[in-house]
Amino acid sequence: MNARLLATFLLGGIAALDATPVAQTLLSQPLVTATILGAVWGNLPLALEVGVVLQILAASTLPVGARTPEDYAVGGVVGAGAALGLASQLPFEVSHNASALLGALAGMVAAVLGVPLLKWQRRRNEGLSRWCESALGQGQESALAAAQAAGVVLSFATGVCLTAVLVGLALRGLQGLATHESLRLARAWGLAQPLWIGLGLAQLLHAFVQRRLTRAALFGVALLAGWLALMVGSQ
Amino acid sequence: MSEKRLTRGDRLSMGLRAALLQATWNYERQQGLGWAWALKPALDRFYPDAERRRERLTEHTAYFNTQPTLASLALGAVAGLEEQRAAGAPVDAAAVARVKSALGSSLAAIGDRLFWLTLRPVAACVGVVFALNGRWFGALTMWACYNWFHLGLRFAGVEWGYREGPEVLGTPLRARLEDLVRGLGALGAALIGLIVATVLVPGGNPRPMVFQAALAAGLVLGMLTAQRARPSPTEWALGIGLLCIAAGWMR
Repeated sequence: MNARLLATFLLGGIAALDATPVAQTLLSQPLVTATILGAVWGNLPLALEVGVVLQILAASTLPVGARTPEDYAVGGVVGAGAALGLASQLPFEVSHNASALLGALAGMVAAVLGVPLLKWQRRRNEGLSRWCESALGQGQESALAAAQAAGVVLSFATGVCLTAVLVGLALRGLQGLATHESLRLARAWGLAQPLWIGLGLAQLLHAFVQRRLTRAALFGVALLAGWLALMVGSQ
Repeated sequence: MSEKRLTRGDRLSMGLRAALLQATWNYERQQGLGWAWALKPALDRFYPDAERRRERLTEHTAYFNTQPTLASLALGAVAGLEEQRAAGAPVDAAAVARVKSALGSSLAAIGDRLFWLTLRPVAACVGVVFALNGRWFGALTMWACYNWFHLGLRFAGVEWGYREGPEVLGTPLRARLEDLVRGLGALGAALIGLIVATVLVPGGNPRPMVFQAALAAGLVLGMLTAQRARPSPTEWALGIGLLCIAAGWMR
């Protein structure tokens, strides 16, 4: 358990790095981090259920303009990590669904709580930027590399700490709820999962279609063709 | 006066360093420090004199912001300008700043639409289609779909920018990128249709009526809430989650 938790915290730091400061390769997206955590914790089905919900919501959250979007890099790791940690201590199928619900909610809360922390980091980087310019003026060319390294370390450390605190709080605070109220929570998951997926998919569809009739028609044709192929294929 | 030219190794190094363009992103200068860091191999090549090099580096720490993948094009173009400047051509700091500003805003305009509004959601949809069927490689497919383009452009972009100069985002490239945005938008709409079908009938077994009704309700709510920026989808999802917990308790 401890090694898995440690891996989860480190993945939180790596995801925080990939999201903005380093490379932006989508390693930080919830589906990717959830799949990695599913392999680490040995429970891929649960990780994918939580990962899909958070991924659809993350994809409909856009880092454009001045708005700081929700931090789904850390949110994805916290969501999948909390669900897997809770489920690892509860053996039944209903507790699997209860863990998925609590994990997905923990992921969304983490994504929202990550926003002020991102803003704080960006303000710290302003100080770093001013220091670097003044050091360059004094002839210290290495200040540029030092400032870049400091930005990377700050981001990684913030990601690890936020993940550790939120996963720790979720496991400590929600364990009792998941154990004693797993039936009710499983019922809530049965309702929340399709609502969340529908909400996120509609946001994406709205962004793709942009009032173009041909794209709306493509959506309809693909839906019908997919549905028919799945129904006929299973006969 | 310098006659030095940028080597392939320098351009590769700039492409690699462009990965850290946003390492110190801040409200005041945004990608300014990251830009200077990525351009440093070129400045090292053109300005062997440490004092002149530091002056140029300091100039380049000024405000800069664009879409991070397409920044490679601007990096190559500005490296070409710095090469001319070091060789004694009449290119001053203001001219370099003007090119940076013009390229930064036009690359951001097309790059935000291409990467954040289209390619990333499309790659996510491809991954989700596989993940809904319990396939672990959904994440890998998503990552590969995005990165063959993202990483390819990050490295090739420096070459293009260096070769084409400030006109790198001319009409042919812009038209090709616009076509790509349109094509990906249509693909995305079709993928959403496929995902909805997969969610409704996973493996050919229709979901219970309650699930289908809840999915339809989610789609309608999503369409209605997409008309307004606030509350965000996450805030709506949190509210829905709490309502579902309340419903689970009352039933």
